[in-house]
Amino acid sequence: MTTDQAAALAALERRRRAAAHLFTLAALAAWALFAATQPAYVMPGPLDVAASLAGFLADPHMLRHMAQSLFHVGAAIVLSFALGAALALLAHYAPVFRLMVHGRITPFLNSFSGIGWTLLAVLWFGLNPTTVIFAICMVLTPFAIINLRAGLDTLDPELIEMTRSFGRKRVRAFRLVVLPSLQPFIFATLRISFGVSWKVALTAELFGGNAGFGYLFNLARQDYDTPLIFVVIVLIVAFVYAVDRFVFSAVQARLTRHYGSA
Amino acid sequence: MEAPERHGLAARLVAEGAVIAFVLAWWATARGLPEFVLPGPLIVGERLVRLFVDPVFLGHTLASAARVVGSVLLATAIGFALALLAERVSVANHAVNRRLLPVLNAIPSVGWAILAVIWFQVSDFSVMFVQVMILVPFCLVNVAEGLRAIDVEMIEMGRSFTRSRPKLLWKVALPLLLPYLVAAIRMAYGIGWKIALVSELFGAKQGLGALMLRAQVSADAALVFATCLGIVVISLAGEKLVIEPLARRVRVN
Repeated sequence: MTTDQAAALAALERRRRAAAHLFTLAALAAWALFAATQPAYVMPGPLDVAASLAGFLADPHMLRHMAQSLFHVGAAIVLSFALGAALALLAHYAPVFRLMVHGRITPFLNSFSGIGWTLLAVLWFGLNPTTVIFAICMVLTPFAIINLRAGLDTLDPELIEMTRSFGRKRVRAFRLVVLPSLQPFIFATLRISFGVSWKVALTAELFGGNAGFGYLFNLARQDYDTPLIFVVIVLIVAFVYAVDRFVFSAVQARLTRHYGSA
Repeated sequence: MEAPERHGLAARLVAEGAVIAFVLAWWATARGLPEFVLPGPLIVGERLVRLFVDPVFLGHTLASAARVVGSVLLATAIGFALALLAERVSVANHAVNRRLLPVLNAIPSVGWAILAVIWFQVSDFSVMFVQVMILVPFCLVNVAEGLRAIDVEMIEMGRSFTRSRPKLLWKVALPLLLPYLVAAIRMAYGIGWKIALVSELFGAKQGLGALMLRAQVSADAALVFATCLGIVVISLAGEKLVIEPLARRVRVN
């Protein structure tokens, strides 16, 4: 590449960035202008939402709802990961169950809607955290099975063979060889689960919860408190983006250094 | 598509046996419980059939189906336009890919559903708005992939035969893009049915989502079950009967 071309590319990149910032500003301005013509319950302006956001973050009661959502999401991720791992490992080590797990259980769970699980769970468990965690868990489990299966399928048979020649203890081989090879896939599973879980959590809390962001959504909907709806959306978008960018990407970079880009 | 795996007789027995055991266990458990807690497989099956036979229920089913198909086509068109904008007007690239796409991708579907009712009241438009907003980012990503993969030399060669731009677009660019458009439609169709229920919960008088919420309020657990299964049935049928033949034709040409 000549220096001229490099300079042209850099200029294009600068122009693109400027255009993107301009787009952000134009979108905010259009939003503010439009909001000025509408009552706040139809379309709150950026300033209304900012004020509402500040109020939200200063209110310990609201922060407790945020903590509740975090708890729901965390518990569901842990449970669905354990369940998915158990099924994926069963299918891997006992091939006779493979069709049952990958051909029957996974497609069924994958196509059953999250809202369906929520409404059924309300009838079974009532309005409480169990319902919410159950619904999120049922939606996340197929993702865990599919991802961990991809990892188990890429295990190098020769490596496993070699391990066996060094020792016959299966538990030790699993801990020292299989688990490290699976690490990138375990990580990918958690990353996907985290992204999906927030969206499901909102629906589940809205219909089946007695606390959390989704519950706030429901209150806001009944009171026509549209700024609060915007605040919850902004918080979730910011939180998911921040965790993905600063936690997952950082861990990913370390994993890639360790294992190469798989 | 992954290659079909061959399964031994034992694996088939275990798989089908598990399904049968599950249904039997469901039946046995449901017998001891009231119907609004756990309806048995027979009554759920009966409701499922009624979704496609009973004129009132069929109205809900068709309303959902029509809206999903409409939203998928609309979202593909919008995604196509946005992808084309990002590709052709190169200054707009980051505005689309680094602003619009991640924001649209991150906004939860229930958020759209609630806002749509406030903005557009209970209407078909409100439901389709929610679906389109959720589907557009997926379509955008798929079509953009296709635009990047287009063989520039083919366009070049086309240009040496004709100078007419509409002809070039219609005869060369579009056929090259078609597989990606079909992939976008296929993905949007699958997701569209998954979110159909959520998008119809607040903003629809007609549709499976509205039917399901009404069933839940009146503790008709059998109908809740049946609508979930009904959606699985319709989306699978559409996939097998319409989308897969379409994808196969595109691949052959």
